Amino acid sequence: MFYQTPLKSVTVIVILAALALYAILGGYFAGEIVVEIAVLAILAISLDFVAGYGGMVSLCHGAIAGIGAYTFAGLTALAGFDGFTATLAALAATAAFGLVVGAVTANISGIFFIMATLAFGQMAYVVVFEWKALGGDDGMSGVSRYDFSAIGLNMNGSVEFALFCLLVVLIVYAVAAYVLRSSFGRTLIGVHSNEDRMRALGLSVWKHKAVAFSFSSLLAGSAGILAAQHTLFVSPELLVWTVSGEVLIVVILGGLGTLAGPIAGAALLVFLKQQVSDYTEHWHLVIGLFLIAAVMAGGRGVYGQVEHVLQRKARSDANA
Amino acid sequence: MLEVRDLSKNFGGLRVSRHIHMALEKGERRVVLGPNGAGKTTLFNLLAGTLQPTSGEILLDGKPITNLNVEQRARRGLSRSYQKNNLFEGLTVGENLALAAATAQGRTFSCFSRAHESRAIRETVEEVAEMVGLSDRLDLGVAHASYGNRRQLEVGLALATKPKLLLMDEPTSGVGPGMIDAFHKLIATLPRELTIVIIEHDLDLGFDVADRITVLNYGEVVFEGTPEETKGSDVVREIYLGDWQGDA
Repeated sequence: MFYQTPLKSVTVIVILAALALYAILGGYFAGEIVVEIAVLAILAISLDFVAGYGGMVSLCHGAIAGIGAYTFAGLTALAGFDGFTATLAALAATAAFGLVVGAVTANISGIFFIMATLAFGQMAYVVVFEWKALGGDDGMSGVSRYDFSAIGLNMNGSVEFALFCLLVVLIVYAVAAYVLRSSFGRTLIGVHSNEDRMRALGLSVWKHKAVAFSFSSLLAGSAGILAAQHTLFVSPELLVWTVSGEVLIVVILGGLGTLAGPIAGAALLVFLKQQVSDYTEHWHLVIGLFLIAAVMAGGRGVYGQVEHVLQRKARSDANA
Repeated sequence: MLEVRDLSKNFGGLRVSRHIHMALEKGERRVVLGPNGAGKTTLFNLLAGTLQPTSGEILLDGKPITNLNVEQRARRGLSRSYQKNNLFEGLTVGENLALAAATAQGRTFSCFSRAHESRAIRETVEEVAEMVGLSDRLDLGVAHASYGNRRQLEVGLALATKPKLLLMDEPTSGVGPGMIDAFHKLIATLPRELTIVIIEHDLDLGFDVADRITVLNYGEVVFEGTPEETKGSDVVREIYLGDWQGDA
């Protein structure tokens, strides 16, 4: 079961506060890094929701974010809608796509589920790649950021935008945590733990999984909206399946099924990438070694390992 | 309450259930006896909807349920406990029971309510825990629970749905005499309007709790009657107790 433990709260707040400080004090470059972390963290939280708590390991969350990015970009840059309307439409589009993926794949499990989600992601990629009105393989520019000038915020400033992205991370985390504690979330965890027994207790398992996937896609969509505003540009690159793979790496690195871990994982991955790429362009190699080490050390991820050790200590203290 | 008409199940050429007829009154306690491979669990799988019959019909409260799937039958008030423990492993005993209670009460879909922590669910959890003797184990992780506790929880999960019809597949399999006694008492304390079908290996338990007994052999009903009639039946003695007559 998911509980918003003090350790989770502290971890989330400390990481986000540290990133905010880094963005404020570190100049333009720091802001860029923080935005990259934030987008990856939101995607990782949304993936952890279905993979860690619902047992649905998706390889199309990158593509889902891409759909959110493209919907937002298309509606603002091409159709002239305002940012608020475009945001709602983009979230609705990703939720709808997620509902279809979830409903179709609900009765598939294991490796076949992963392959089915990969296929959905690739389909979305191909559609965007071929869609000339959306710029095809050239992508589409002319995306603008939210206009908060009414409250005196210039979102084109690197620091402002980075802080806004961190706020979205916090909101997405809070919403995911809230839903995991609700009846819906508890039931989802039950499905993950023992799908057959939930069915025998009278649950429409496929409906529950489809809605859970849809909700997770909606969260992933918000990452896409931020990504589009970050670079003011969208391209099919956003939907390439390796993006989904990277998100999965972040979740495993941070701790699958911990919700707070993915934020730590995102920060770790991006910082590691920055540091290592100063010395060598083969930074994937180092990330790969890190990932292997994380999996071999029990597969709990960085945050998951800390949580595990502290819980075990608490239990032995209680018994002593 | 439960009616089974001419129910058969073939796996290819293998006929595991043959022309089974059964009729249960509301509140009846029916024990299904039979040697290994007699088709007892297959009968449960057919009743619960895990398997579809090759032919025949099943009626619950006079309405056909043959074409309903597992979850639809569960929502009609049919609940089942398994011969092999089938629990929610990562959770505690209390969370297991709350999950069963909330699911049965249809409180699964709201993102805004915390039904699992609500009073209605907590009361059901405490009531069921008391019945199956797990009141002081609610915070125990299932993964750390003893086999006996897990067996109790298995029955508890089925009870937490507050069913109309309860199917129990060898509830006392693998537990010691003390727990078998406790289980006898549990059956006696369950609401009288609850209809129960129990698959049992243990003849004494069967005779003790049953209103009527059905004996299966090779997928067929070979005998049905009261415990007294069953004890006196030659056909039952021959197939079920055959081994003590000398050929073993």
